[in-house]
Amino acid sequence: MPKTEIQNRIRRLRFDHGEMTQQQLADKARVTRQTIIAIEAGKYAPSLPLAFRIAAAFGVPLEDVFQYTPNGDPPSD
Amino acid sequence: MNRQTKEACLGLLLVVPMIVIIGGVGVFIGYDKGISFGPLLMFGGTVIAGGLIWLVPFISSRIGKPEEKVSFDERDLLIHKRAVMAAYVVLWLYFVAACVIPWCVVGPQGSISVNIMPLALLGGLIVFTLAQGLATVVQYGRGGDDAKD
Repeated sequence: MPKTEIQNRIRRLRFDHGEMTQQQLADKARVTRQTIIAIEAGKYAPSLPLAFRIAAAFGVPLEDVFQYTPNGDPPSD
Repeated sequence: MNRQTKEACLGLLLVVPMIVIIGGVGVFIGYDKGISFGPLLMFGGTVIAGGLIWLVPFISSRIGKPEEKVSFDERDLLIHKRAVMAAYVVLWLYFVAACVIPWCVVGPQGSISVNIMPLALLGGLIVFTLAQGLATVVQYGRGGDDAKD
């Protein structure tokens, strides 16, 4: 499956938030752990409501979690 | 392996053989005893019930009680929709083949038994279930690998 043009910092944010596990994030975002794994790996682009739920789980704005890169290049931190 | 993958595997390993056996017995009884309503209804019921299996995840996601731990989310629903769509494409190809192959085999002036028609219907159900199950398993296999925390 090709990677999406939506890059994310979920993995970084999880570790910044007390090494939150994928399961804990999945419970907060009301999705399965497999979905979090797929989003982190860039294999699945979440819907807008789910993206907002994930951002809310970290208490940060949406753009701090997801970045749009037209050519699929990773965003510069 | 999550719920959707389990359901797909269950469909491939259990539902398809069950449909083949029940449908086959129904058709055999109908053929052996002459066409009567009992076997016909049994066969029709099997085909209709089997054909509606793909609706179960949609219905359960709408009316099912919200579980404490999420086991079915938007990604699962998307995979299910894609699998159903792929199964319909395969079903269409099967339908085209079922229409053209007899014509090619017996020729324009030939004739075939009408008993082929319910069997073709049963075959369509089997093809649909197989295609949907395979599409589901393939999609989860490609994107559903567990990763470390």
